[in-house]
Amino acid sequence: MSDSSSSTPRNSESETDSAEAFLLLLNEHERQLSIYVHALVQSTEDAEDILQACRLTIWKKFETFEPGSNFLAWARKIALNQVLNHRRSRKRKPMHATDPEVLEAIAAEIDLQRDALDHRSKALRKCLQQLPDSQRQTILLRYYEDDDIAEIAAKTKRTEGAVYRLLSRIRTALNECISARLASQT
Amino acid sequence: MNFEESIDLSLEEKLSEEEWEAFQKELLKNPELLSCYVEQRWAHAQLTSDQEFLAQLAKQSEEKTSSSATESRKQGRISIFAGWAAAAAIAVFALVVFQAKPEVASHVATLIEAENCRWDGSDLPTAEGARLSPGTLALAEGMATIQFDSGATVTLEAPTTLEVDSAMRCRLLDGSVVADVPESAHGFTIDTEKLEVIDLGTKFGVTSSEVGGSHVFVFDGEVKVREGDAEEAQHVFGGKSLHFGSTPDEPDAEIDRSVSLLSPGPDWFAISTDDGGKDVYIRRGDRSGQTGDHPLLMVKHTDLTPGNERRALLGFDLRKLNHTQIAEAKLSLKIESSGLGFSSLVPDSEFAVYGVLDPAILNWQESSILWETMPEFTAEKIDAERFIRLASFRIPKGASHSKVEVQSGGLTDFLLSSGKEKITLMLVRETGELDKQGLVHAFASKEHPTSPAPTLWFLKHTDL
Repeated sequence: MSDSSSSTPRNSESETDSAEAFLLLLNEHERQLSIYVHALVQSTEDAEDILQACRLTIWKKFETFEPGSNFLAWARKIALNQVLNHRRSRKRKPMHATDPEVLEAIAAEIDLQRDALDHRSKALRKCLQQLPDSQRQTILLRYYEDDDIAEIAAKTKRTEGAVYRLLSRIRTALNECISARLASQT
Repeated sequence: MNFEESIDLSLEEKLSEEEWEAFQKELLKNPELLSCYVEQRWAHAQLTSDQEFLAQLAKQSEEKTSSSATESRKQGRISIFAGWAAAAAIAVFALVVFQAKPEVASHVATLIEAENCRWDGSDLPTAEGARLSPGTLALAEGMATIQFDSGATVTLEAPTTLEVDSAMRCRLLDGSVVADVPESAHGFTIDTEKLEVIDLGTKFGVTSSEVGGSHVFVFDGEVKVREGDAEEAQHVFGGKSLHFGSTPDEPDAEIDRSVSLLSPGPDWFAISTDDGGKDVYIRRGDRSGQTGDHPLLMVKHTDLTPGNERRALLGFDLRKLNHTQIAEAKLSLKIESSGLGFSSLVPDSEFAVYGVLDPAILNWQESSILWETMPEFTAEKIDAERFIRLASFRIPKGASHSKVEVQSGGLTDFLLSSGKEKITLMLVRETGELDKQGLVHAFASKEHPTSPAPTLWFLKHTDL
C-alpha cells in the first residue's frame, strides 16, 4: 500500500480512504467506547470479547455511517446491541448478569449524562494522581494487576473485609474529589 | 437494604443473586439511585479499561516508592488496542478487511509441549514455547500440549485438529484432547460439532470424529455437556462417560486398496487378509458383539477394566505362496485412530505377534467368533503349546496413521515352515494403561474403506 504500488485499482483506493477514516475515528473514540462497554458488562473478559466483536461490526457497517455525524453515539448504539445480543445469547444466565431492561436503563442514563460523564472521566484521572500512595497502590492492585479482593488481602496482609472497606473508602474519596473538581469548574 | 452500599458490593460482585435482583428492581424504580450507580459504574469501567493511564500511574508510583508491584502483573489485561496508531493502521486494516480473525494478535495460549510432532496445515506457530493467538492447530502425528492463559491445559493427540478461540474456549474439529482445568479456569469450554463441554472443575477428555461421533470422558470432577442447541445440559461426573452420535458404521465408501502404497519394493509381493483371509478382534465380555465386518481391529491390554481387553486375529491364506522362493517375510499393519481412549494415558506400547500352532483352532469364523466361545485365544496366560511368540513391536505414544512393519526371523520361519496353507496370527498388546480411559489401539482391517488391510509381504530370492 505504499506509493510505489501504483497498480492498485481505484475502488481499493477508496476503500483505503474509508479504512483510514474508520481507523482515525476509532482511535479517537476507542477509550470512550471501551469505558461504555465495560460500564454495561460486569465481566471484564466478556466486555473485551464484546469490544472485539464491536470493532468488526463497526467496520462492517462503516459505510452506513454519515461522515460528520457523531461517531461515538453511532458506535455506542452498535455496542449496546452487541451487549444485548451477548446477554441474550448466553445459554445460561451468568452470575450477576444484568437484565436487558436494566441494561437499557443504564444505557439511556449514560446517553443522558454523557457530557457530565466525560467531565467525570477527566476529573478521575486527576484525582487518581492526588491519591495518597497507599490508596493508589490498592487501586493499582485492584485494577491494573486485576487482583480480586482475596488476592489483595493476601498481598497486603489484610483481611478481605478490611480490603473491601478500604476500596469502598477510596471510591468514596475519588467520588468526592471528582464532585469537588466539577463544582470548581462551574 | 442500604442501596449505596449495594453499589459498592455490586462492583465487587459481592451481592447475592437475590440481593442483585432486588437491587436491579430498585434501579428501575429509583432515578436517583440509577444516576448514582451509573456514575460509580462509569468510574469502575474507566479504571478497568483505561490500562494505559494506570500503567503511567504505576510507573510514577514505582519511581516514588520503588515498589515492584507492577512486575507481577498478570498477562492478558494489556489493552491490545491501546495503540491503534496510524503506524499500525495499514496492518490492522488488512486484518479487519479480510476478517482473518477479529482478535488481532491477541495471544490466548502457549504451546508448552510438542512431543514427536508433525503438523498439518496449521495457521498457528507450532514451535515449542510459541504464543498462540486464536487460530487452528492441526496435529498429524505426536502429542502436543497447550496451556491457555486461563490456566487450562489441553493435550492434543494426533490426528487432531483444534481451533483455539480464547483463553477460555476451544473447538475440537476432529480427534482427541485431554483437558486439565485448574480452579482459575472453571467454565473452560470445549466445543465439538455436536457438543458443548463446560468444565466445572476437572480433568476430562473429548473425542470427536466424523465416523465415531463424540465421546466425553470425565476422569475427575464434573463437566456439563450440552448437545446441539439443547437448553438442558447433562452433568457428567468423575469416572463416567457420555457418547453422542453414531459408532463407526459399516463403511459405504468405495474400497480403494492400492497395495502399491505400502509395497516395500519391486521384489516383494503381498498377501493380505483380503486375499481369501479373515480378520477380527475379540473383546472380553463381548460387549461389542461380533466384529468380523468392523473396519478396525482394536487391541488393548488393561488391568483396570478387564471388559476392555481386546485382541486381534489375522487369518491368511498362503496357498498362493511358493514357499521355496521366499527369502524373507514381514507383516505390515496400518495404524488407525480408534476414537476410544486417550494416548496420553498409555505409555509407549509394546505389542506381540503370536502364531497359532494348534491346527484345531485355525478354523475360527469371522462372522461368529466371540471371546466367550474361543477360550484358547483368550486365556490370560498364552498357552505355549498352542501359540508361538514370533515378534514384537512398539508404538510410541501419540503415533497415528502410520504404518507398522514387523519383521523377525521367527515370523519368517513360521510363515515358511512347510505345509501351512492357512495360518492365524494373534495381536496382543502387552503394555497396560495408567487410567481406565487409556487409548484403544486400532489397525485397519480388510473392511476399512481407505486403508490397506493387514498384509504379509514376501521377498523372493533374487537369484531365482
